[in-house]
Amino acid sequence: MMNTPQQVKNPSTSLKSRFITRFLGALTKINAEDPISSPSPTRIFQRYRRIKVASNKSMAYSVRSRRIWSRAMLSRFRSRRSAFSGRRSSVKTTNCTTINVTINENKTAKGGLDMQTDELRELVPGGEAMDVCNLLDETAHYIKCLTTQVQVMRKIVDFCHLSK
Amino acid sequence: MEKDQVFMGEGLNRAAAVQAGWNSCSFGMEMETDELNCVGSCFLNPKWHNSMDQSDPFESALSSMVCSPAASNAGSTNFPASGDNTMMTDLIGKLGNICNTGDISPQSLIKPPNNNNNCSSNTSCYTSPLDSPPKLNLSMMGGNQILKHPSLVPVSADPGFAERAARFSCFNGLNPQVGVTEAEFVQLTRVSTNQSIMVTGSQVHVPDSNKNTLQDGNSCSDKRNSRLSRCSSPENGDSKDESSISEQIPGVGSSIKAQNDANARKRKSMPRGKAKETPSPAAAEAKIAEENNKSTAKRSKQQNDSAKAENKENPKPPEPPKDYIHVRARRGQATDSHSLAERVRREKISERMKFLQDLVPGCNKVTGKALMLDEIINYVQSLQRQVEFLSMKLATVNPRMNANTEALLSKDMFRSRGSLPHSHYPMDSSALAFGLRYQPQQGLPMNNGISNDTQIKFSMNPANAALHKTQRLQLPPVDGISDANPQIGSFWDDDLQSIVQMGFGQNQPQSCQSKHS
Repeated sequence: MMNTPQQVKNPSTSLKSRFITRFLGALTKINAEDPISSPSPTRIFQRYRRIKVASNKSMAYSVRSRRIWSRAMLSRFRSRRSAFSGRRSSVKTTNCTTINVTINENKTAKGGLDMQTDELRELVPGGEAMDVCNLLDETAHYIKCLTTQVQVMRKIVDFCHLSK
Repeated sequence: MEKDQVFMGEGLNRAAAVQAGWNSCSFGMEMETDELNCVGSCFLNPKWHNSMDQSDPFESALSSMVCSPAASNAGSTNFPASGDNTMMTDLIGKLGNICNTGDISPQSLIKPPNNNNNCSSNTSCYTSPLDSPPKLNLSMMGGNQILKHPSLVPVSADPGFAERAARFSCFNGLNPQVGVTEAEFVQLTRVSTNQSIMVTGSQVHVPDSNKNTLQDGNSCSDKRNSRLSRCSSPENGDSKDESSISEQIPGVGSSIKAQNDANARKRKSMPRGKAKETPSPAAAEAKIAEENNKSTAKRSKQQNDSAKAENKENPKPPEPPKDYIHVRARRGQATDSHSLAERVRREKISERMKFLQDLVPGCNKVTGKALMLDEIINYVQSLQRQVEFLSMKLATVNPRMNANTEALLSKDMFRSRGSLPHSHYPMDSSALAFGLRYQPQQGLPMNNGISNDTQIKFSMNPANAALHKTQRLQLPPVDGISDANPQIGSFWDDDLQSIVQMGFGQNQPQSCQSKHS
C-alpha cells in the first residue's frame, strides 16, 4: 500500500513526504518546548500525548480535506483546541450519535454485520455519519495513512536509537 | 488511489455502456454484443464519472443499457479492435437504419451501411418486427454510438428490421430476445419518439466533455448527436456518436415502460451503480439495470443469467465481459427498483471489501464479510495502537531534535521510501554531532524493556487481554494508562521512570535499575 501512485510520485508532493515534514516539525517543536530533562512519568506521558496528537494531526493535515475521516479528525482537533485540554471530543461524538442511530436503523439489510460495522465506525474518525459504502472507502484510505504514519514513526525511532 | 481510479474507470465504462442507450433491454435487448463494447470505451473517460453524477434522470435510465461486450473490450483499448470495429460498424449500420427512420436529426450519423447483418443484434432490440423504424431513432443512435462510423445505415425498410433483429439477436446468442413483441416495439417506438427528445436533451453533444453534455437539458433531436459524443471517451472522437446513440436508446427503453416513475427510480439506482462500479468484471457485468417492464426483464433475465453466470467468474463467454454498470433483474428475483438498487449497493460494498482485502495483510484466506470486517477492525486497531506505542517511544527516546536532525531524518525517509517498516538506516556520522546522547548499552535494553516488561505487566490486566488479538503489537494500548487503573499506573510509573532514566543516561539511580526487572 505504500506503493500507491501518490507515494511513488515526486517526494515533495506525496502524502508521505507531507506527513514527514509536518510531523518532524511538530516533534522539533515539542522537544523545544518540553525538553526531556525531567524524567517524571507525568511529563513523559504528557509528552507522549502531545506526540500522538501531533502525529494524527500531521497526517490529517497532510490529507487535508479530501477525505471524510480527515475532515472529521480536523474538526475534532479544532473543537479540542477551543475546549479545555482535558475535554475530549465529546461534543462531536454526541452530535454524531444521533446520526449514527438513524443510520443504523436503516441498515437492516446488513443484518449480522451491523456489529462489525459499528465497530468500524468507532475506529474510523467521522465514521458515525457514513453509510457502509463510504465507510469502507474511508477505512481503506485510513488504513493507508495509518501505515504511513507507523512507518515514518518507526523510522524516526530507529534513527534516534541508532544515533546514540 | 489506483483502485479508486480503476473503479471509476470501470464504472465509467459501465455507465457508458448503459448510456449507450441500450435500454433497449426493455426489448429484452441486451447490448451485450462485442460491438457494444465500443460504447464502453467511451466511458473510460474519468470525467465521465462527474458527468454521470450530474446527468439527469435520463442518464440513469441509459445506464441501464447494456453495452457489456463492447464495453469490456473497449475498456482496455478505448476502442474495439479491428474485428470489433467491423462488428460495430455493422451494428451501427443497423442501428442507424432504425434510427434513421425516426426523427433523429443525426441523419449524418446514420449512414447506410451495409453492415446490417451483424448489427442486427443491437438493432433487433430496437427494431421490432413492426415497422416503425422512424420510432427507433434511439436504437439507431445506440448503434451509431457504438460504431466508429458515424454513418449508419438509414433505416430504409421496415421488413429489414425484423431480419436484422433476428440476426442481431442471434449474433449475441440472444435468441430469446429476438422476440421483441410488437407491443414492446410499439411501446418502444412510442417511447422513442417521446424519449428521443428527452434523451437527446440530456445528452448534449460535447466531444470529450461529458460533463457538459450531461448538463444540457432536453434539446431537440439534433442533440442526439451530442449524445453520441457524450458517451465518447476521450480517446474516441467517434465514440461520441456511439455514446449518444447508446444514451438515447436507454432513454427510449426506459420510457417504454411507460412508467416513468419506475424508470426514474431505477435510473437513480443506476447512477449509483455506475459511478461506483468496481472494475471487477463479475460485479460489473452482472448488472444490468432493468428499467423496463417485466416482460422485458424476463427476457433480459435470460441473457442476464447467462451473462451473469459467466461474467461472475471470468467473463468472456457469449456475452463478453462488460464494464458497464448494468443492473438487471436476475432470474427469479424481484425487478422492482428497490431490489435493483439494493443489489447495486451490495455489489459496491463487495467491491470495496475486495479492495480492503488487498490492503489488509492476511485477509486472503478469510471469506465472508463478517470475518473480513473483523480482520479489518483488528488491523485498524493494531495500527492505531502501533501509532500510540511509537509515539510513546518517541516521547521517551527522543530528547533532542534540532533542525539538522530533522533534515537528516527527512532525507533518510525519502531515501528509504517504499522500504518496509522497521529497517535500520545507515547512521551518518554527522548524526552523532546532533547531540543525541544515548548510552548505547542502555538504549537497547530500554527498548526491549519497554516491550517485554510492559507487555508482561499489561497482559496481567484482563482489560487488556482483548487487545492482544494481533501479533504485531508488542505493547498493549497505552490507553490503558489513562484508564486510571492504579495497578497499571504503578507498573507504568515504575518502568517508565526507570526506562526514562536509563534512556537519558542522565540520572541513573541504582534504585531504578533494581526496580526495572
